[in-house]
Amino acid sequence: MMRRLALLALAGFILLPLAQAVILSFTVTLPDVELAQGTVGLMNYSAVLADSALRAAMVNSGIYVVLNVVFCIALALPAAYALARFRFLGDRHFLLVILVFRVTPPVVLSLPIFILFSQFGLVNSPVGIALVHCLFNLPVAIWILESFIRAVPRELDETAFLDGHSGPSFFFYHLIPAIAPGIGVAAFFCFIFSWVEVVFARILTVTGGKPITMALQAMFGFQTDIGMVMAMTCLSLVPGVVMIWFVRNHLARGFSLRA
Amino acid sequence: MFSDGGGRALTGAGAAPWPRQPGLTSRPHERRLRRMAPHDNRAWFLLVPALTLLGVVGALPLLAVFNYGFHDIFTLKDVHWVGADWFADILGSDRFVASLGRSLLFSTLALGIQVPLGIAVAMLLLGQGKGAVWGLMLVALPLVVPWNMIPMLWLGLINSDSGLLGPGLAAIGFDWKFTGWHTWALILAVDTWHWLGLVVVLAYAGLSAIPDAYRQAAAIDGASRWAVFRHIELPKIAGALAIVFLLRFVDSFMIYTEAFAINAGGPSDATRFLSLELGEEIKGFSYGQAAARATLYFLIVLAVVWAFVAATREREA
Repeated sequence: MMRRLALLALAGFILLPLAQAVILSFTVTLPDVELAQGTVGLMNYSAVLADSALRAAMVNSGIYVVLNVVFCIALALPAAYALARFRFLGDRHFLLVILVFRVTPPVVLSLPIFILFSQFGLVNSPVGIALVHCLFNLPVAIWILESFIRAVPRELDETAFLDGHSGPSFFFYHLIPAIAPGIGVAAFFCFIFSWVEVVFARILTVTGGKPITMALQAMFGFQTDIGMVMAMTCLSLVPGVVMIWFVRNHLARGFSLRA
Repeated sequence: MFSDGGGRALTGAGAAPWPRQPGLTSRPHERRLRRMAPHDNRAWFLLVPALTLLGVVGALPLLAVFNYGFHDIFTLKDVHWVGADWFADILGSDRFVASLGRSLLFSTLALGIQVPLGIAVAMLLLGQGKGAVWGLMLVALPLVVPWNMIPMLWLGLINSDSGLLGPGLAAIGFDWKFTGWHTWALILAVDTWHWLGLVVVLAYAGLSAIPDAYRQAAAIDGASRWAVFRHIELPKIAGALAIVFLLRFVDSFMIYTEAFAINAGGPSDATRFLSLELGEEIKGFSYGQAAARATLYFLIVLAVVWAFVAATREREA
């Protein structure tokens, strides 16, 4: 009974702010010529979808998040394999270095990243955001993939190499299928940072390439249509919820400190 | 949990059962692997791609920030060496000390609430069998909300005219705009809402990796619930808790988005955290001073991480 009450309280705590957003997203919050304030309906959603800047923002966010996940997995897989299968000079130092990068406050790096990236033409480009988010996602991806690779018996590697597989074909045909859930979990954690992050998304999109977070920010003004803002927010949750659904059975593998 | 004598780690999450392929992994098996791990420095080649990227987007900007901190920067072409003046200014100002105190207090409160609460929720979910997955999905939801919208969701919720909780809170005299500790309570609630899921997911990962036999043995010995937690569960989730602790420390210590959106440091500087001061300097184009401040913040975070890792290695040795 107590447990049930506690679970209910938890669900209430988590869901209340989201419920508020959903309610607002279906409500007319600014007086309108045709619709009275407080009318309930889908008009906020149709307004969001009719707005080309908001549609572009969704595409921009989608592009850099996908790029970020691809970069992170591609770079983390070999590193995680090395850490899981070998001991080598400085392996613990490497773990400490990636920990330090993961915990560096984004705001500390914002200024030089902007200057550096503007010299390489990476400002206003999704590639720039995808690269800088790797600083925070690559360490996490390495931790997760390493724990998954370590759980695969070494015999898998040995049989594959005996069968004549070279390094790359072993990675693609044996290792990746064996740790597919780990790749899903790593992708999930990369996604949740990259999709919702604001510091770098703001400084690296000065004039164009605005992501969802910045498009939302731009909707606040003298007369904010909060219903439309909440409709956009609710739409922005959809990919995240889909990701949660796909990794739900593997989420509980998590990751932990390696130092 | 962090490392065995050989310098490598066995983590709680690493030994979690793999749902689709039961029996694939177990502690003794992993330990055998660990012993077998050959020493081969060529493994560095596999780290080169990751290190290159981290060097370009991480190490280079850090060096640049460090360098800017010793200069007065009007434009990028008009830069003057000022030595350690910025550092002396910042460290000598009462405002910095006060903000540092507030940020440390905020981190302490955030960790003090979120870590025990997260463990408690994870334990609650552990007793739910298949229902646990739904609980995990529930607590993970706030993690996918755009950060700058999180304060907006909450401000909507407590809006005294239209919010679901607004009228009730107004009736009991909750005034987050002008009463300092009410603003604190609100920011803590928002931060807890945002990040509880991370603590729960990682704690649950560690807890669910503990074989039932351990708990059964403890039950036969007549161990109390607390003893089971203290001597069986806590050591097993230490690795997961360590990363939770560090991630939550830096994020709460550098909290900006929520704090700024909710009350911009007010009322009368009651929630003026370190990151808000840095934000003001960047917005004021005072780049040299901002860089010096950023360097200081980085060093503080680094010192905490260093102390934490050193203490953990010491304890495990």
